[in-house]
Amino acid sequence: MKAVGARLPRYDATEHVTSGTRYVDDVRIPGTLWAKALRSPHDNAEILSIDTSKAEAMAGVHAVVTFKDVHKNVHGHIEGLGIPGDEPLLAETHVRYKGQPIAAVAADSEALAQRATEAIEVTYKVLPALFDVRKAFDADAPQAHHWGNWYPHFEGEMDRRQIRKGDIEQAFADADVIVQGTYRPAAIEHVPLETQVCQVVPEAGGRFVVYSATQAMYFSMGVVAAHLNWPLNKLKFVGGTTGGGFGGKVDTATETITTLLAIKSHRPVRWRWTRAEEFLFSSTRAAWHMEIADAVTKDGWILGRKMLTLHDAGAFARFSPYGVTKHAFHHTGAYTIPNLEFNGFVVYTNRTPSTAMRGFGVTSVSFATETHLERIAQTLGMDPLEVRMKNATRIGDTSPNGIPYTDPSTVPVMQALSGAVGIELPAHYRTMTSAIRSGEDLPGHLVAQLGNPEDH
Amino acid sequence: MEDPAVLIPTSVAEAIESFGAGGDIAIIGGGTILVPEIRLGHARPSRALMLHGAGLAGISREGTRTTIGAMTPLSALSSLGEPIAAAVSNIADLEIRGQGTVGGNLCAQNTDAPRGDLQGVLIALGATVRSVGAGGERSEPAETFLPGRADRLVLDVSFDAPAAGAYAYLDRAHTHEYTALAVTAVRTADGTIRLGANGAGPHGLRLPSAEAAAADPSAAGVAALADVQLFDDAIASAWYREKTLPVLVRRALEQLKETA
Amino acid sequence: MNITINGTSRIVNAGPLTPLLHVLREELDVLSPKAGCQQGGCGTCTVLVNGEPRRSCLLPIAAVEGAEVRTVEGLASGGKLTPVQEAWIHHYAAQCGFCTSGFLMAATAYLEKGGSDDHAEIAAALGGHVCRCTGYVKIYDAVAAAARGESFDLATTAAGSRTTIRGVEL
Ligand SMILES: Cc1cc2nc3c(=O)[nH]c(=O)nc-3n(C[C@H](O)[C@H](O)[C@H](O)COP(=O)(O)OP(=O)(O)OC[C@H]3O[C@@H](n4cnc5c(N)ncnc54)[C@H](O)[C@@H]3O)c2cc1C
Ligand code: FES
Ligand code: FES
Repeated sequence: MKAVGARLPRYDATEHVTSGTRYVDDVRIPGTLWAKALRSPHDNAEILSIDTSKAEAMAGVHAVVTFKDVHKNVHGHIEGLGIPGDEPLLAETHVRYKGQPIAAVAADSEALAQRATEAIEVTYKVLPALFDVRKAFDADAPQAHHWGNWYPHFEGEMDRRQIRKGDIEQAFADADVIVQGTYRPAAIEHVPLETQVCQVVPEAGGRFVVYSATQAMYFSMGVVAAHLNWPLNKLKFVGGTTGGGFGGKVDTATETITTLLAIKSHRPVRWRWTRAEEFLFSSTRAAWHMEIADAVTKDGWILGRKMLTLHDAGAFARFSPYGVTKHAFHHTGAYTIPNLEFNGFVVYTNRTPSTAMRGFGVTSVSFATETHLERIAQTLGMDPLEVRMKNATRIGDTSPNGIPYTDPSTVPVMQALSGAVGIELPAHYRTMTSAIRSGEDLPGHLVAQLGNPEDH
Repeated sequence: MEDPAVLIPTSVAEAIESFGAGGDIAIIGGGTILVPEIRLGHARPSRALMLHGAGLAGISREGTRTTIGAMTPLSALSSLGEPIAAAVSNIADLEIRGQGTVGGNLCAQNTDAPRGDLQGVLIALGATVRSVGAGGERSEPAETFLPGRADRLVLDVSFDAPAAGAYAYLDRAHTHEYTALAVTAVRTADGTIRLGANGAGPHGLRLPSAEAAAADPSAAGVAALADVQLFDDAIASAWYREKTLPVLVRRALEQLKETA
Repeated sequence: MNITINGTSRIVNAGPLTPLLHVLREELDVLSPKAGCQQGGCGTCTVLVNGEPRRSCLLPIAAVEGAEVRTVEGLASGGKLTPVQEAWIHHYAAQCGFCTSGFLMAATAYLEKGGSDDHAEIAAALGGHVCRCTGYVKIYDAVAAAARGESFDLATTAAGSRTTIRGVEL
């Protein structure tokens, strides 16, 4: 073991401090054109017509692409996981968020490419837009998505990710107190210092080299190939150097459109988003709406949890069904609650589509759970650490989706943390281990659900 | 695609002549606001006047009167005492302060964010702005200059040294953030109290009602609300500005008292 | 038009309003300054102009005619890194590295002017720079260590430290 526990320098540190690192925007190929996109100025609108003729006629403009240039315009980012596609690469008949790309241009300079996008004429029929997940289920809500206002394609064509565990009605009947809370973390932009960027270079033999800042190389390669209906061996991806991503560079945001422009112009093409584009139109961490009701005993045991989650996917699904699935599996946090009723919806709104960010789907529910535990402690007048230790996950407990925990870390982490911040836990909790619970720790009605099966 | 025609005068006289009566001509001071706007295509002037070689930079003193050339970088103002020093050290960061100019700050259009922090300070100081444009040269108080600033070329600003000055602002976590709201209080050499605010209207504003109540800082704070046009932007809501303006007025006046 | 870059005089053809950043990257292939925002807000493009740190994305090229411009390409000489470059490696002050060039030039100017190891002063000098990866503490540590004239073992990284910003210990 040379690495574990050692203070090794970064493998790329010397390159970083001498500017030896070559980011995508640093690739220099003579004759490279600049790309720009025409983006929707509306949150929700039908497209009545698209006329690119003026842009095409401009001197110095070498390619203009629209949906007509894409072999498979709608391709789901995670079709491989059984999640069907819903998002066009370039809008065809409808735009569903402000900033959605409709057409793209490759031209001699960045300013010229910008002017060419402005010369593309699009007519719209503007429709009312939906921005609030709480209104999505109203009968008179604007329609955000062609599938309706929430994603309908979970396994078995269910319209939600749901979890049912134990006997939730019994838990609520046994409770001394019901503690309720609503938690609404906002959308967050990743703000990598390198904005979305890519360069695509045609090779003489017909292969295209894609310099990509993606966080998911082979995945992005598959997405580009699927849109083009090309075999993978017609693409060569060069990646691995990313100027910050934080989850925001798992979407294949630039590669396919830039490749289309390189194919059409027979020239190398670079597409680098402006900071404003990055803020306004690159995917964000989702906004979430979470409602929790916990059935609690007066000594702090959480018998059951009912939870409703509305995940704001924005205009298209992208990875959201996957994010909500992770969210569902983690919806009790680092604690074990034996009786559960969870409903999670991927709700469509006319906002920028959301994506992964540092703990995809899980940070939202950690925030909600931890805050809710404070609320429970306040309601009961108990020490919040005690509520946590009591309900901490132990060996043999199962996750909300039924996976047994073999090495949970809640107890040792809580003990170490309370030591670090100078809080003295009661003796009982100081000596507690993650070992399977013995019956004496438990109120009678939980023994069957949480105790060591060998004890009873 | 046409790049703007660029004029680079090498003297004040040449700058005045090039500017003429203004019109479709963009004045580039330090360029910290305008250069990105032109590059991004948000501003597309047909002519641009670059002032860096026009000889408009520098601070001079005559008796109690200080005159600051329009092209003086903000960083050069930190030695001018309060309230200017405090206001300037709160503008952007040291790199931007080295490039941004007094003229650019005074003429910044506060379209998407308040970004002319010196406007309210110069109003409180009772500064005179000397500018040229249609109708020739004009010298006027900062508060009358500001509403019509779009079509003038500023040559310099001047003011008499105050007896005391104080600056109170909404502090923000990061050096880059624009100042959401700031209040400057000045006691002039003859003992008059003057108050200017930034972020409380389309440009820096004087606070006459608050000045009239200045003896009681808390009352002055409440009175200030009658003098302003509060607005929402990405930095702060009108509601927040309404709640904080009286506090800043009070703080600036209390600070001024302490420097008696 | 002429500018001197890292001691070498270069001819520039770009129009007078072209930002220095664009001239460096697109015309002269000087790639260390990065185009993080091109509107002054991030500091990835900072270079030294006559010894002063400046955002190259905001500077029209005509305004720096004849100036001496220094970039990261001009820091190390003969393969020998400057102390601040070594400090960056030893203190793990770069992760993705996209902000590094700008920070290094601002830190170089700070140290050349005799900047101290005081974290508040360092924070003021580097306040125009955003880093999304490191959380700044390691960057301040690196600059402080360089200011103290420490020497750096590049085969290992320093233990982290705590820092105070505006009186709050982080
Ligand atoms: C990251 C960042 C942070 C910032 N933070 C702040 C802040 O906290 N507070 C703040 O006040 N500002 C801030 N600014 C804005 C700006 O840097 C300052 O206002 C600066 O003083 C503008 O001066 P300039 O010379 O660079 O302006 P320029 O960009 O050259 O010009 C700005 C405007 O003034 C006009 N103009 C310039 N000179 C003259 C003249 N002599 N006569 C007539 N018109 C003229 C221009 O035509 C233009 O409309 C910030 C900018 C950036 C990029
Ligand atoms: S690119 Fe110049 S400050 Fe961001
Ligand atoms: S190291 Fe990535 S932004 Fe600083």
